[in-house]
Amino acid sequence: MPYLPTPQAYLEQSALLLQAYPDSRITTKYSFLSQRPTALKKAQARQSQRRQQQQQQSQDTATTPSQSTPAPQTPVATLTLKTYNPAAGICLQYRTNKAAEVGRLITSLGKLAGGADVAALGLGAAPATAAAAGTAGDVEMTDAPVAAEEGSAAAQAAGQAQGKPDAGAKGGKSKKKGKGKR
Amino acid sequence: MAPHLSNEEFFTSLTTLLSTTSQKTRGSVYLTQKPLLNTTSTNGDDPSPVSQPSILIRATDGNTNAPNPKNPKNKIERSKTKASKVKISTVVAPEELEGFYGRYAEVCKAGMTGLKKRDRKRGKAKGKGGSGKGAKA
Repeated sequence: MPYLPTPQAYLEQSALLLQAYPDSRITTKYSFLSQRPTALKKAQARQSQRRQQQQQQSQDTATTPSQSTPAPQTPVATLTLKTYNPAAGICLQYRTNKAAEVGRLITSLGKLAGGADVAALGLGAAPATAAAAGTAGDVEMTDAPVAAEEGSAAAQAAGQAQGKPDAGAKGGKSKKKGKGKR
Repeated sequence: MAPHLSNEEFFTSLTTLLSTTSQKTRGSVYLTQKPLLNTTSTNGDDPSPVSQPSILIRATDGNTNAPNPKNPKNKIERSKTKASKVKISTVVAPEELEGFYGRYAEVCKAGMTGLKKRDRKRGKAKGKGGSGKGAKA
Protein backbone atom coordinates (compact mmCIF):
# COMPACT_ATOMS: atom_id res chain seq x y z
CA MET A 1 0.00 0.00 0.00
CA PRO A 2 2.04 2.85 -1.29
CA TYR A 3 1.76 6.43 -0.15
CA LEU A 4 1.81 8.53 -3.27
CA PRO A 5 3.99 11.63 -3.20
CA THR A 6 1.61 14.17 -4.70
CA PRO A 7 -2.16 14.64 -4.72
CA GLN A 8 -2.03 14.64 -8.51
CA ALA A 9 -0.41 11.24 -8.58
CA TYR A 10 -2.90 9.92 -6.08
CA LEU A 11 -5.89 11.18 -8.02
CA GLU A 12 -4.53 9.91 -11.29
CA GLN A 13 -3.88 6.45 -9.96
CA SER A 14 -7.24 6.41 -8.22
CA ALA A 15 -8.96 7.32 -11.47
CA LEU A 16 -7.21 4.44 -13.18
CA LEU A 17 -8.09 2.07 -10.38
CA LEU A 18 -11.71 3.15 -10.45
CA GLN A 19 -11.83 2.63 -14.17
CA ALA A 20 -10.45 -0.84 -13.82
CA TYR A 21 -12.53 -1.66 -10.76
CA PRO A 22 -15.57 0.58 -10.44
CA ASP A 23 -16.46 -0.98 -7.10
CA SER A 24 -13.44 0.45 -5.34
CA ARG A 25 -14.06 2.55 -2.30
CA ILE A 26 -12.42 5.76 -1.23
CA THR A 27 -11.93 6.50 2.43
CA THR A 28 -10.94 9.88 3.74
CA LYS A 29 -9.65 9.81 7.26
CA TYR A 30 -9.40 13.01 9.23
CA SER A 31 -7.42 12.08 12.26
CA PHE A 32 -5.56 13.53 15.17
CA LEU A 33 -2.45 11.84 16.39
CA SER A 34 -2.95 9.14 18.89
CA GLN A 35 -1.95 10.16 22.37
CA ARG A 36 -0.14 6.94 23.13
CA PRO A 37 3.57 7.54 23.64
CA THR A 38 4.56 4.78 21.25
CA ALA A 39 2.36 6.20 18.55
CA LEU A 40 3.82 9.65 19.06
CA LYS A 41 7.32 8.27 18.74
CA LYS A 42 6.43 6.48 15.55
CA ALA A 43 4.88 9.58 14.07
CA GLN A 44 7.98 11.62 14.83
CA ALA A 45 10.24 9.08 13.23
CA ARG A 46 8.04 9.05 10.17
CA GLN A 47 8.07 12.82 9.99
CA SER A 48 11.82 13.13 10.14
CA GLN A 49 12.19 10.42 7.58
CA ARG A 50 9.79 12.16 5.28
CA ARG A 51 11.58 15.45 5.72
CA GLN A 52 14.84 13.83 4.77
CA GLN A 53 13.27 12.43 1.64
CA GLN A 54 11.85 15.77 0.72
CA GLN A 55 15.16 17.46 1.19
CA GLN A 56 16.80 14.94 -1.03
CA GLN A 57 14.21 15.42 -3.70
CA SER A 58 14.13 19.20 -3.69
CA GLN A 59 17.45 20.56 -2.67
CA ASP A 60 17.17 23.58 -4.93
CA THR A 61 14.15 24.93 -3.10
CA ALA A 62 16.34 25.78 -0.14
CA THR A 63 14.71 23.84 2.64
CA THR A 64 15.99 25.00 5.96
CA PRO A 65 18.14 22.27 7.46
CA SER A 66 17.48 23.37 11.04
CA GLN A 67 13.74 22.88 10.70
CA SER A 68 13.32 20.68 13.72
CA THR A 69 9.83 20.77 15.14
CA PRO A 70 9.98 18.68 18.28
CA ALA A 71 6.44 17.64 19.21
CA PRO A 72 4.24 20.50 18.01
CA GLN A 73 2.37 22.21 20.83
CA THR A 74 -0.97 22.13 19.08
CA PRO A 75 -1.66 18.66 17.77
CA VAL A 76 -1.87 18.76 14.01
CA ALA A 77 -4.40 16.55 12.36
CA THR A 78 -3.71 14.55 9.27
CA LEU A 79 -5.88 13.78 6.32
CA THR A 80 -5.35 10.39 4.76
CA LEU A 81 -7.02 9.46 1.51
CA LYS A 82 -7.21 5.85 0.63
CA THR A 83 -8.54 4.17 -2.47
CA TYR A 84 -8.99 0.50 -1.94
CA ASN A 85 -10.36 -2.36 -3.92
CA PRO A 86 -10.98 -5.42 -1.79
CA ALA A 87 -11.14 -7.82 -4.73
CA ALA A 88 -7.90 -6.72 -6.31
CA GLY A 89 -6.22 -5.87 -3.07
CA ILE A 90 -4.92 -2.63 -4.48
CA CYS A 91 -4.66 0.22 -2.05
CA LEU A 92 -3.52 3.71 -2.95
CA GLN A 93 -2.92 6.28 -0.28
CA TYR A 94 -2.10 9.90 0.08
CA ARG A 95 -1.48 11.72 3.31
CA THR A 96 -1.41 15.43 3.97
CA ASN A 97 -1.78 17.92 6.77
CA LYS A 98 -2.36 21.03 4.68
CA ALA A 99 -5.73 22.68 5.11
CA ALA A 100 -5.35 24.31 1.71
CA GLU A 101 -5.58 20.98 -0.06
CA VAL A 102 -8.84 19.83 1.47
CA GLY A 103 -11.20 21.64 -0.84
CA ARG A 104 -9.37 20.61 -3.95
CA LEU A 105 -9.10 16.99 -2.87
CA ILE A 106 -12.75 16.62 -1.95
CA THR A 107 -13.90 18.19 -5.17
CA SER A 108 -11.65 15.83 -7.07
CA LEU A 109 -13.11 12.93 -5.14
CA GLY A 110 -16.48 14.07 -6.39
CA LYS A 111 -15.20 13.93 -9.93
CA LEU A 112 -13.85 10.47 -9.30
CA ALA A 113 -17.20 9.41 -7.90
CA GLY A 114 -18.81 10.71 -11.06
CA GLY A 115 -16.64 8.36 -13.05
CA ALA A 116 -14.20 10.93 -14.37
CA ASP A 117 -11.13 9.65 -16.14
CA VAL A 118 -7.64 11.02 -15.73
CA ALA A 119 -8.06 13.61 -18.45
CA ALA A 120 -11.34 14.87 -17.01
CA LEU A 121 -9.78 15.50 -13.63
CA GLY A 122 -7.96 18.47 -15.07
CA LEU A 123 -4.91 18.07 -12.95
CA GLY A 124 -2.69 19.97 -15.29
CA ALA A 125 -0.46 16.94 -15.57
CA ALA A 126 2.14 16.54 -18.23
CA PRO A 127 0.65 16.18 -21.71
CA ALA A 128 2.40 12.88 -22.20
CA THR A 129 0.63 11.47 -19.17
CA ALA A 130 -2.72 12.76 -20.33
CA ALA A 131 -2.20 11.29 -23.77
CA ALA A 132 -1.31 7.94 -22.35
CA ALA A 133 -4.34 8.07 -20.12
CA GLY A 134 -6.48 8.74 -23.15
CA THR A 135 -6.26 5.09 -24.08
CA ALA A 136 -7.60 4.14 -20.69
CA GLY A 137 -10.26 6.81 -20.95
CA ASP A 138 -11.84 5.05 -23.91
CA VAL A 139 -12.97 2.19 -21.77
CA GLU A 140 -16.55 2.68 -20.74
CA MET A 141 -17.13 2.34 -17.05
CA THR A 142 -19.46 -0.58 -16.61
CA ASP A 143 -19.89 -3.04 -13.86
CA ALA A 144 -19.54 -6.02 -16.16
CA PRO A 145 -16.59 -8.20 -15.20
CA VAL A 146 -15.36 -8.35 -18.78
CA ALA A 147 -15.16 -4.61 -18.97
CA ALA A 148 -13.36 -4.55 -15.66
CA GLU A 149 -10.71 -6.82 -17.04
CA GLU A 150 -10.36 -4.66 -20.07
CA GLY A 151 -10.07 -1.68 -17.83
CA SER A 152 -7.28 -3.15 -15.81
CA ALA A 153 -5.46 -4.09 -18.95
CA ALA A 154 -5.87 -0.57 -20.19
CA ALA A 155 -4.65 0.78 -16.89
CA GLN A 156 -1.58 -1.36 -17.15
CA ALA A 157 -1.07 -0.30 -20.73
CA ALA A 158 -1.32 3.29 -19.66
CA GLY A 159 1.26 2.64 -17.01
CA GLN A 160 3.61 1.14 -19.54
CA ALA A 161 2.95 3.84 -22.08
CA GLN A 162 4.20 6.46 -19.69
CA GLY A 163 7.83 6.04 -20.42
CA LYS A 164 8.98 8.60 -17.94
CA PRO A 165 6.28 9.58 -15.49
CA ASP A 166 6.54 13.13 -14.29
CA ALA A 167 4.35 13.33 -11.24
CA GLY A 168 5.36 9.95 -9.95
CA ALA A 169 2.61 8.45 -12.06
CA LYS A 170 3.02 4.76 -12.54
CA GLY A 171 0.73 1.94 -13.44
CA GLY A 172 -1.34 1.06 -10.44
CA LYS A 173 -0.08 -2.49 -10.43
CA SER A 174 3.54 -1.84 -11.15
CA LYS A 175 3.95 0.15 -7.98
CA LYS A 176 6.50 -2.11 -6.43
CA LYS A 177 8.62 -2.39 -9.51
CA GLY A 178 9.00 1.32 -10.09
CA LYS A 179 10.87 2.16 -6.98
CA GLY A 180 13.66 4.20 -8.46
CA LYS A 181 11.63 7.09 -9.72
CA ARG A 182 14.43 9.39 -10.64
CA MET B 1 -28.57 -0.19 10.86
CA ALA B 2 -29.80 3.33 10.82
CA PRO B 3 -31.44 4.43 7.59
CA HIS B 4 -29.68 6.78 5.24
CA LEU B 5 -30.02 10.44 6.00
CA SER B 6 -31.04 13.02 3.47
CA ASN B 7 -28.17 15.05 2.09
CA GLU B 8 -29.09 18.06 4.22
CA GLU B 9 -29.25 16.07 7.43
CA PHE B 10 -25.99 14.41 6.55
CA PHE B 11 -24.25 17.74 6.20
CA THR B 12 -25.48 19.03 9.53
CA SER B 13 -24.45 15.82 11.28
CA LEU B 14 -21.09 15.83 9.56
CA THR B 15 -20.50 19.44 10.57
CA THR B 16 -21.07 18.66 14.22
CA LEU B 17 -19.00 15.49 13.98
CA LEU B 18 -16.04 17.31 12.46
CA SER B 19 -16.25 20.26 14.79
CA THR B 20 -16.44 18.14 17.93
CA THR B 21 -13.43 16.13 16.78
CA SER B 22 -11.50 19.27 15.96
CA GLN B 23 -12.35 20.84 19.29
CA LYS B 24 -11.26 17.80 21.20
CA THR B 25 -8.14 17.49 19.03
CA ARG B 26 -8.47 13.81 19.52
CA GLY B 27 -9.94 10.94 17.56
CA SER B 28 -10.67 10.47 13.90
CA VAL B 29 -13.40 10.91 11.36
CA TYR B 30 -13.70 8.39 8.58
CA LEU B 31 -15.46 9.39 5.40
CA THR B 32 -16.10 6.67 2.87
CA GLN B 33 -17.56 6.84 -0.58
CA LYS B 34 -18.41 3.98 -2.84
CA PRO B 35 -20.73 3.44 -5.75
CA LEU B 36 -23.94 1.54 -5.19
CA LEU B 37 -23.53 -0.98 -7.96
CA ASN B 38 -26.02 -3.62 -6.85
CA THR B 39 -29.10 -1.48 -7.08
CA THR B 40 -31.06 -4.21 -8.79
CA SER B 41 -32.75 -5.16 -5.56
CA THR B 42 -33.97 -1.65 -4.85
CA ASN B 43 -35.17 -0.36 -8.18
CA GLY B 44 -36.00 -3.57 -9.96
CA ASP B 45 -35.11 -3.56 -13.61
CA ASP B 46 -32.90 -0.59 -14.21
CA PRO B 47 -33.32 0.39 -17.86
CA SER B 48 -29.76 1.65 -18.15
CA PRO B 49 -27.27 -0.35 -16.14
CA VAL B 50 -24.42 1.46 -17.87
CA SER B 51 -25.48 4.79 -16.40
CA GLN B 52 -23.69 6.25 -13.42
CA PRO B 53 -24.47 4.54 -10.13
CA SER B 54 -25.51 6.43 -7.04
CA ILE B 55 -22.79 7.10 -4.53
CA LEU B 56 -23.07 5.98 -0.96
CA ILE B 57 -21.32 8.26 1.49
CA ARG B 58 -20.62 7.19 5.02
CA ALA B 59 -19.13 9.07 7.90
CA THR B 60 -18.16 7.68 11.26
CA ASP B 61 -15.91 8.51 14.14
CA GLY B 62 -15.04 4.86 14.60
CA ASN B 63 -15.81 5.28 18.29
CA THR B 64 -12.53 7.16 18.59
CA ASN B 65 -14.21 9.90 20.58
CA ALA B 66 -14.94 7.51 23.38
CA PRO B 67 -12.76 7.86 26.45
CA ASN B 68 -9.65 5.75 26.62
CA PRO B 69 -10.73 2.27 27.73
CA LYS B 70 -7.34 1.67 29.32
CA ASN B 71 -8.10 4.32 31.85
CA PRO B 72 -9.63 2.40 34.79
CA LYS B 73 -12.02 5.26 35.50
CA ASN B 74 -13.75 4.69 32.20
CA LYS B 75 -13.88 0.97 32.38
CA ILE B 76 -17.23 0.80 34.08
CA GLU B 77 -19.07 2.82 31.49
CA ARG B 78 -17.49 1.07 28.59
CA SER B 79 -20.73 -0.44 27.40
CA LYS B 80 -22.29 2.98 27.52
CA THR B 81 -19.63 4.59 25.39
CA LYS B 82 -19.97 2.02 22.69
CA ALA B 83 -23.38 3.38 21.90
CA SER B 84 -21.87 6.82 21.40
CA LYS B 85 -20.26 5.81 18.14
CA VAL B 86 -21.43 8.12 15.42
CA LYS B 87 -22.43 6.53 12.15
CA ILE B 88 -24.14 8.46 9.43
CA SER B 89 -24.67 7.77 5.78
CA THR B 90 -26.38 9.20 2.77
CA VAL B 91 -26.95 8.31 -0.86
CA VAL B 92 -26.22 10.80 -3.60
CA ALA B 93 -27.89 10.48 -6.95
CA PRO B 94 -25.52 10.80 -9.91
CA GLU B 95 -27.17 14.00 -11.13
CA GLU B 96 -26.71 15.63 -7.72
CA LEU B 97 -23.06 14.70 -7.42
CA GLU B 98 -21.62 18.04 -8.41
CA GLY B 99 -23.75 20.11 -6.09
CA PHE B 100 -23.29 17.67 -3.27
CA TYR B 101 -19.53 17.61 -3.53
CA GLY B 102 -19.41 21.37 -3.70
CA ARG B 103 -21.10 21.54 -0.32
CA TYR B 104 -19.23 18.51 0.95
CA ALA B 105 -15.93 20.24 0.24
CA GLU B 106 -17.16 23.36 2.02
CA VAL B 107 -18.22 21.39 5.08
CA CYS B 108 -14.92 19.53 5.19
CA LYS B 109 -12.90 22.69 4.73
CA ALA B 110 -14.80 24.39 7.52
CA GLY B 111 -14.72 21.39 9.82
CA MET B 112 -11.14 20.21 9.45
CA THR B 113 -9.61 23.01 11.41
CA GLY B 114 -6.95 20.82 12.92
CA LEU B 115 -4.94 20.78 9.73
CA LYS B 116 -2.06 23.11 9.06
CA LYS B 117 -3.15 26.51 7.91
CA ARG B 118 -1.57 27.97 4.86
CA ASP B 119 1.11 30.38 6.03
CA ARG B 120 3.30 30.93 3.07
CA LYS B 121 4.68 34.12 4.54
CA ARG B 122 6.13 32.50 7.61
CA GLY B 123 7.65 29.67 5.65
CA LYS B 124 9.31 32.10 3.30
CA ALA B 125 10.52 34.29 6.11
CA LYS B 126 11.99 31.27 7.82
CA GLY B 127 13.77 30.19 4.68
CA LYS B 128 15.05 33.67 4.02
CA GLY B 129 15.86 34.31 7.63
CA GLY B 130 18.23 31.38 7.72
CA SER B 131 20.18 32.45 4.68
CA GLY B 132 19.79 36.17 5.37
CA LYS B 133 21.25 35.85 8.81
CA GLY B 134 24.25 34.11 7.41
CA ALA B 135 24.71 36.86 4.83
CA LYS B 136 24.39 39.62 7.41
CA ALA B 137 26.71 38.08 9.90
